[in-house]
Formats: sequence, structure tokens, C-alpha cells
Amino acid sequence: MKTKRKVWTIAIAAALATSGAMASAQENEPIKFGLCFDLSKSYAFITPQVAQAAQDLAMYTNENGGIEGHPVEIIVRDHGNEPQRGVECYEQLKREGVFIYNFLSTPVTNAALPRAMKDGNILMQSFVGRGDAVDGEVFGWVFPVGPTYWQQAANDVAFIKGQMGGDLSDAKIGFIYLDYPFGQEPIEILKTLAEKEGFQLELYPVPLPGSDQSGAWSKIRRDKPDYVISWLLAGGHAVASKEMRRNGFPIDRYLSVNWMNEVDINNIGAEEAKGVLRGTNVAGGQDVPIVKTMLDTYYANGKGSGPESLVRDVYYNLGLAVYTTGFEAARLAIQENGWPLTPESMKSGYEAIENFDANGLMAPVTVTPQDHGGGGKTRIEQWDGANWVPLTDWSADYIDVVWEVIKESSAKFTVE
Amino acid sequence: MFYRLSGVYHSSLISDSRMFKVPADRNLAVFLLLIGLAAPFILPSLYLNSYILPWLIWTAAALGLNLVTGWAGQLHLGYAAVMAVGAYSAIHTVRLGVPWEIALIIGGLAASVIGSLFAFAALRVKGLYLALTTLAMQFVMDWVLTHSPTISGGSHASLQAPTLALLGQQITSDAGYYYVALGWCVLVTIFMLNLKRTGLGRALVAVREKDFAAAILGVNSFYYKILAFAASSFIAGVSGALLVATFYFLAAPEQFSVNVSIQVLAMVIVGGLGSIIGSYFGVALILLVPGLVNGLVVTASEELGMQVNVETLAHIPNAVYGALIVIILMIEPLGLGKLYGNIRDYLMTWPFDQLRK
Repeated sequence: MKTKRKVWTIAIAAALATSGAMASAQENEPIKFGLCFDLSKSYAFITPQVAQAAQDLAMYTNENGGIEGHPVEIIVRDHGNEPQRGVECYEQLKREGVFIYNFLSTPVTNAALPRAMKDGNILMQSFVGRGDAVDGEVFGWVFPVGPTYWQQAANDVAFIKGQMGGDLSDAKIGFIYLDYPFGQEPIEILKTLAEKEGFQLELYPVPLPGSDQSGAWSKIRRDKPDYVISWLLAGGHAVASKEMRRNGFPIDRYLSVNWMNEVDINNIGAEEAKGVLRGTNVAGGQDVPIVKTMLDTYYANGKGSGPESLVRDVYYNLGLAVYTTGFEAARLAIQENGWPLTPESMKSGYEAIENFDANGLMAPVTVTPQDHGGGGKTRIEQWDGANWVPLTDWSADYIDVVWEVIKESSAKFTVE
Repeated sequence: MFYRLSGVYHSSLISDSRMFKVPADRNLAVFLLLIGLAAPFILPSLYLNSYILPWLIWTAAALGLNLVTGWAGQLHLGYAAVMAVGAYSAIHTVRLGVPWEIALIIGGLAASVIGSLFAFAALRVKGLYLALTTLAMQFVMDWVLTHSPTISGGSHASLQAPTLALLGQQITSDAGYYYVALGWCVLVTIFMLNLKRTGLGRALVAVREKDFAAAILGVNSFYYKILAFAASSFIAGVSGALLVATFYFLAAPEQFSVNVSIQVLAMVIVGGLGSIIGSYFGVALILLVPGLVNGLVVTASEELGMQVNVETLAHIPNAVYGALIVIILMIEPLGLGKLYGNIRDYLMTWPFDQLRK
């Protein structure tokens, strides 16, 4: 019995010692960005590019003096798109002093959101998770900088309105989507806009994973919509392009959600894809100054954080967009509130971002305490066989309609 | 030496029907329970809230599946769907203002009803056909969840769970959540331990071994199959509700999708069909090892200063984990529970059995 007690005492002492060491706050730590990504399952089509962009950007920042003199550290972990492992990653990094997170997966970010809200940690949530999180008054710690799917859909409708001479009353717009929450999200806003603008809306659900679309497209052939807005992913675009050819639907009337990259274009065929439209908040291609800088400083000397092929992908630009915004927020935070950086000052740093476009990389964003999305501006680009050509300027339309939906949805959320 | 026995012999019916037939087993169980109770004081909170807590809840869930698959021998591929029914009905009930204690039971009962409803249809078929029917239930549930905003909670289908409160006490601390999970897991374990020594348990085993032979012995196999489905669905429902209430804090369809169903089944199979301790091991392997191996690989590559691409780094643990499952099942096809049993049986009389040889 005595020995047992001794063992207990030692065990307790050891546990206390480790937890004490963990809790001690360190001075002069780097600014840590936690990237709990799904690098091995469903989101592996985008995460390597984004992680590489974040690492390149951190390397570049550190070599040029850091953020206000403080180095940046990018911590990448895999969670395999499993909510349980995402939470584990969150809890683990929390103890390593991370308070800025990005999960880049809708299921995992959903699972981590209540914790981040409760703990008061910054959750970067661009392009994933619940759309109503742009409501900064409710989701104070969540920063989904970029357009929500609602705003993207609204901007798409505005573009079509422009193309049809400013009048949609005789128009017929089709909406082809993956039949699960990602694809269903814009439906409500499209219905509202159909009522407002008087166009006819046709819905074409496609079952997961989007490889069987023949039913939807033969219906599209009968309905003859003027434009088809597409909420498909990855391989879904290639299938859609085949169906378009089979059903005689012009590909230049196919307007995709921002999830369409160079890999998809290659799968369709660069020539075959000529004319396809895409709504985006990030400029594609390598002519963007910051992407050029990365290519010249690192990839030309073989010093990049990964293969160069991943740089030639619009999702790399997207990753840069997400992290330049994050770094800018940290810079503003330190400038205004000094070191050390805290979640509170990082939050106010984010909310001080004004008209920031990372030197032409993305749509200018202005984050406010009310709007954590930064305005939701996008533009429509067209593939000309070799490049994405912008057809419109960065803009956001039907903002009041979109915010009505956001407010209605976010009102149901309370911090427990 | 360890067990102080020369073998397990019984001289009365009472000793034969004891829950723990070997005193050392009982002592070990009590010891583990004490460690479990003391865990919040001896373990860092990271381990408590992101490893041990989900491990306990998933173990309770896996034990439920073990009841229907391990004991009654019915393959079930829609277990996560049943958990979802429990989770969603419990949360909605609480949101209507009903206290959590009742809501958890309602969640369990709702899962039980839906689970056995499908079982009625499913039990006309056997084996692989039954597996496919339960898989169909999973898909039906997935579809219902993604297509009915009133159930799934609107924006991006996530439904927030109100704060857990039991016996008038709001539970918000890590230790509190942990004790709830521990309590539920212990309760299910005790139920399963008792199941082994009751007529119900023996009837289920009879049904598993050969259902028409069981019928000849007077065991109504249809009734017992339904009973197994209902009981296991109840456990699934409450586990699902507790998983959301103490770990995820909001319910989303992806948390109960088809791959989760397959994972739970993997937990049961790797752990050992019909083995209680095996379920604990199986859950640990399937649920926790990927994360732990991932951490190990990351640390190792950092220590060695290797410049490994993040993508490669993410795939190595997957390969290791896959290999681990294959190796374990090759060493002992009856699972980790049997592996433990082999060691225990060997040590039971060691070293005195050596004298006989």
C-alpha cells in the first residue's frame, strides 16, 4: 500500500510539472498560425497548395524582418477530415500557444467553432463552414474573409443581369449543385433573387460525388436556361463539360463557383474549356506581383516549400490571399496594441483591415466588427484557352438581400 | 504468480455465475475504475478532453454495436445513423426546454424505435443482405439530415447543443464532461458484463451461432434479434447525444456519416467480436492511433531535421495505421481482446504450469 501511494505521489507530481511547464507563457515567441488541414482525404485537392502558400509567405516575411519585427511560424498538422482529430489538433496547438487557427474543412471547422468561440481564439474560416459566420456581431472570433456562398451566388446573378442587358424578367437561370449542404446553401438566396428580379429559377440537384449528371443535363437541354450556375467540385466540372458537349449546351454559359482550378481545366482540356466562367475573389495566374515574387525568389532557386507545380494553381493564390490577410491583421494588431499579440488584439487587427487587396492578389477587403467577410466582393473570369480573363471588376451586389439571409441564420446561434 | 490460481474451477453455481470469475480480474477492474475517477487530477487536460473523453464515449458506442454484431451476430453498417437519431432527437428535445436527463432517454428511445423499425424490415434477410439493408438505413438517414433544415439546424446543417446540465448542475468544465462520459461508459460496461451471465446473453449467443438451432431449443430468434437491435440502438442514441453534448457541442451530418459507421464496425472487429475489453482496445486503436502516430511522425521528422513535404507527412501515419490493423488481425484474427485474453490465460498459472512440462 505504501509503495502504491508513493507511485501516486510521483505520478501526480510529474503531471503537475508537465502542465505547469505548458502553461508558462513565453516571451519573444514567434507568431504562430495553426493549420489543422485535411491533407490526406476529401480536401486534399486544395490543402497542399494553401499550406505551401502559407509556408512560402511566412518564409518571405521572416526573411524581410517578420511582422513588425516578430517572426511567423506556420504549424501544419493533418486531421484527415475527421472532426474528432480536428478538435484534438485544436486542443493540442492551443497548449503550444497557438490562438490563430484554420481548419479548411467544413465538418472540422464546424466541430471546432464552439470551442474557438468559448475560448476566444481566432478562427480563420475562409471558404468553409457556416456562411452566417461573417456576422461579426454574433461570431466575434470567426473570420471568414472572402465571399460567402450566398454572396457569390448573388454576384453571379448580378453578372448575368449585366450580360442580359440589365433585365432578368424573361431570363431562365439554372442552378446545378451537389445535393448536400455545400451545394444547397445558395438555393435560398437564388429563390429570393428570382422573386425580386422576376427570372425563372430551375434547380438541378446532382447526387454525390457528382460523377453522374446525365439526368440533370438532359433536363437542362429541355429547359434551355440562359445560364447555368454551378456549385460542383473538382471532378464534377469535367463530368459537366462532357454532358454539356453531349447536350449541346454552350460552355460559355456555365458559371462555376470559385472551386475550379487548373487541374479541373486540364481534366476538361484547355481548349475544350475555352469560354467557361468562374466567380472568384482571388486573381488567378502567375502575373500577380506576390506570386511572381515567390517564383523569382524561391522557386527559381529550388528553395520553395514544395513543388513548383502547386504554385501554378489558383488555390495557391487563394492560400496567399488567406494568409496575407491574416498577416496584415497581425501587423495592424501589433502596430495598434503592441506586443505581445493576443487574441483580442488580433481580433481588432482583423477588424481594422481596410481596402486591403495584397497588391492586386484579390478583391479588396474591408473587415469591420459587423462584417467579418470583408465585403464579399468577387469578379467573373473567363478561361480563354490559356489564361483567366476578368470580365468584370471586383464588386458585391444585392448586399441587403444577402445580409437579410445572414442575419436570419445567425440569429439562431448563441454562445453556450 | 499474478493471478494466484491454478486455473478457473467452480464448485458452485454461484461462483460460476460471478461477474468476474478470477479475483485478480476484479481487482484490476476496480483499480482501473479508480484511476478513471482520479484521471482529471493526474492527467493533463489535453489528454483528458481530446483523447480519453472521446475514447470513453466511442467505447460505449462500440459496446452497443458489439451487442448486436458480436453477441447477436447481426452485421450492422448503419450504426452511425442510429447515433445521429439519438443525438438530434435529444438536442431538439432540450431545445424545447426539457431537461437533459429526460432528453437523453428520449434520444435513446427514439434511436431505439428507428433502429428496431429498420431491424423489422432488415431481419427478413440475413448476413450480407442484412448488412446492405442497414447500409441503406445509413443512406436514408444521411439524406434526411441533409434535406430537412428543421432537423439539421439550418446554415450549413449544424445544430448547436445547449449546455449540458445534469441533476440541476450545469456542466462546463473538462472534468465535468469527462465524468459524464466515464459514467456512461461504466454503465454500459456493467450492462454488457451482466449480459454475459443472463439468459438474454446466452439466447443472443445461441441466435448468433445458428438461429434455427436456437429456434429448436425454444429461443425465439426473431424476438431476440429485435431485442438486440433495440438495446444496441438505445446505447447508440445516448452515446451519440453525449458525444455532441460533451465533445462536439454541435451536431452536423458529417459526424454521423457512412464512414463513421464503418469506423465503429472496424473498432468492434479489431477489438474482437463479443469482447468487452476488446472494444476498449479497438476504439483506442481506430480512434486514437491515427492522431498519435501523426504526432509521432511529425515530432520525429522535426527532431531529425528532415524537410518532408507536408502532404507526404500526412500520408505516412495513414500507411503506418493501416499496416498496424493488418498486422494485428494477422497475429490474432479474433482481435485485440483475444490477444489480451491469450496473455492473461498464459499468465494465469504461470510459472507453475511450466513444471508440468
